Amino acid sequence: MASELELVDIQAGYGRAAPVLRGLSVSVEAGTIVCLVGPNGAGKSTVLKVASGLLKPRSGRILVRGVDVTGQGPQQMLASGVAHVLQGHSVFREMTVAENVLLGGYTLRDRSVLAKRVEFVKEVFPVVADRWNSLAGLLSGGQQKQVEFARSLMVNPRVVLLDEPSMGLDPKATATVFDQVVRMRDAGTAVLLVEQNARRALETADVGCVLDLGRVHLSGPASDLLADPRLGELYLGGRPTVPQPPARR
Amino acid sequence: MPSVSDSLTRPADPAAPVASPAAAPDGRQRLGRLLSGAALLALAVAVLSFPAWAPNPYVLSAGVVVLNYAVLSTSWNFVGGFTGYISLGHGALAGLGGYATGLLVVRAGLPSFVALAVAGLLVAAFAVPVGYAALRVRGASFVIVSIALVLILLLVFQSWASVTGGSRGLVVPRPFPDLLRPEHHRVFYYLFAVLLGVALLVWWLIDRSRFGLGLKAIREDEDKAESLGTPTFGYKLVVFVVSAGFTGLAGGLYALWFGDLDPVFQFSILTGAYLVLMALLGGVRHLFGPVVGALVVGVALEYFKVEFGDTQLHLVATGVLLALVVLFMPDGVLPALGGLRDRYLRPAQASIREVTAAELWARRAAESGSTSTVTGPAPTDPAGSGPAASGGVERATADPDAPEHVAAEPGAPTTEPEAR
Repeated sequence: MASELELVDIQAGYGRAAPVLRGLSVSVEAGTIVCLVGPNGAGKSTVLKVASGLLKPRSGRILVRGVDVTGQGPQQMLASGVAHVLQGHSVFREMTVAENVLLGGYTLRDRSVLAKRVEFVKEVFPVVADRWNSLAGLLSGGQQKQVEFARSLMVNPRVVLLDEPSMGLDPKATATVFDQVVRMRDAGTAVLLVEQNARRALETADVGCVLDLGRVHLSGPASDLLADPRLGELYLGGRPTVPQPPARR
Repeated sequence: MPSVSDSLTRPADPAAPVASPAAAPDGRQRLGRLLSGAALLALAVAVLSFPAWAPNPYVLSAGVVVLNYAVLSTSWNFVGGFTGYISLGHGALAGLGGYATGLLVVRAGLPSFVALAVAGLLVAAFAVPVGYAALRVRGASFVIVSIALVLILLLVFQSWASVTGGSRGLVVPRPFPDLLRPEHHRVFYYLFAVLLGVALLVWWLIDRSRFGLGLKAIREDEDKAESLGTPTFGYKLVVFVVSAGFTGLAGGLYALWFGDLDPVFQFSILTGAYLVLMALLGGVRHLFGPVVGALVVGVALEYFKVEFGDTQLHLVATGVLLALVVLFMPDGVLPALGGLRDRYLRPAQASIREVTAAELWARRAAESGSTSTVTGPAPTDPAGSGPAASGGVERATADPDAPEHVAAEPGAPTTEPEAR
């Protein structure tokens, strides 16, 4: 069976600058959490931008359930079932939680489907039901994050891309957010997770990939990776063991 | 609150009291809603009965002017309130509506109110290419483009004297030549009131609709709205055209009432600025914001003109008014009043301290008792009895749609390790 999402040999970068991703490949299966860890500038967020269509790769292929979707924009990727939860807080602060969630389902034309999805996300994210009519901007950071999750799940995506979901959250809120990620996985969603909090993320994830200099340096079952001494070497300030490719102009 | 969400909250109502005990039906809250309703009713009665107690025709004519402002400002608020695009060009659209009506009566010989309707449609049609060009730019650039519209139209209508009468102005024959002046004011007062009612109704309908939800998302963050699948450009254009149509109608009705058009006053940036001031003062996110703003600013403008009309002092006074509003009520009068009401009549907002998902589930389970489908332990049990019966049925019907999710539910709450 084809992976839910597969990136093959991706080269990508911003403007005319040197590429950020240099031949990266990663795949995510249904019902698993794949976690990307790596130092700042390794290209973690860029992977998600490529996967959600926000950034067009210079070369390489993007496959959704075996279908080549390379070069499609964010709306088409969303339609293919790939939802992206951006870094930082991206709720509509001056709108209610209800409006935020309904906007997530904006592409759903069928009222009854929409109602069912609302029921679903209210159930998975009790805070959404609890604060349904509050302005989203009045919620705490962790609650806002859950509203964002709920918004992204409205279209019933097959793949969810999460960019640093624990950023700026206290440990308790982080725990809640990670619990929700596990619930998404358990519901059959494929999750591609980017986290600075590497240990925490690898404890949660099924598969881990360590990124450095725009490619995957280590990958494998997350638990193995946690025990691997090379993780610390790469991630916690060690030198990459692979020679650097020459910088391209 | 858009209707979509209203209709969607209903099936979940059983969960609502569970989720927020602080928001439980409360006498004080009902009193607050009652107060708002009473204020609204008082406003409506005051507006509609005004011609009966206006002491003299001049005051009545001032009332017509204020109502005209209320319609214009509400029309402006279709664009300004929903999308957050600040247009200073709506004065020109009103002027265009006035001239279109006048010219259709004078040159084409159409009956007054047929001319008015055609003029409204013409202005709406004119707004299509204008919006198509102007709505591509945002923020300050849009404001400047909207100002350019005013200046261009002013030049055209001043110079094209053979058609428009140029600086000599255009005299529009009255639709009711037999009426005496006070009667004439009274009739037009009610005509403006009807137009205002229609504009408010349409605004309210959009506010509650899916379309309105998309527009408000544009106001908050246009790029994000686009990425969620809102056809932002099309929406902006549609609402701009609707806004222009109402503005044109108000301008046309003014032309029929006032009977004399001068390009300098019809195509004035000052008009657009007043409309923005009124809407901001009342509160752009509120249905009645622009009306309240028009009442305050319109009455103040008339008063200042009567008192200080010989000097430029009336403009200074208007400026001071604007400054006071921006300083003390940046969101407008209505949100400020609403805030006051909430402060005294509503229970304090629940703290935003994190409540874990587990706590909320526990609370939900405790309060829904036997109908615990929501908590997961027995998702296949439709659990008929109790106050949450409808919610339970709703869940059961929802199951086939997302079997994989529901199947995963039972174990999920137990994966909440409290120790973390």
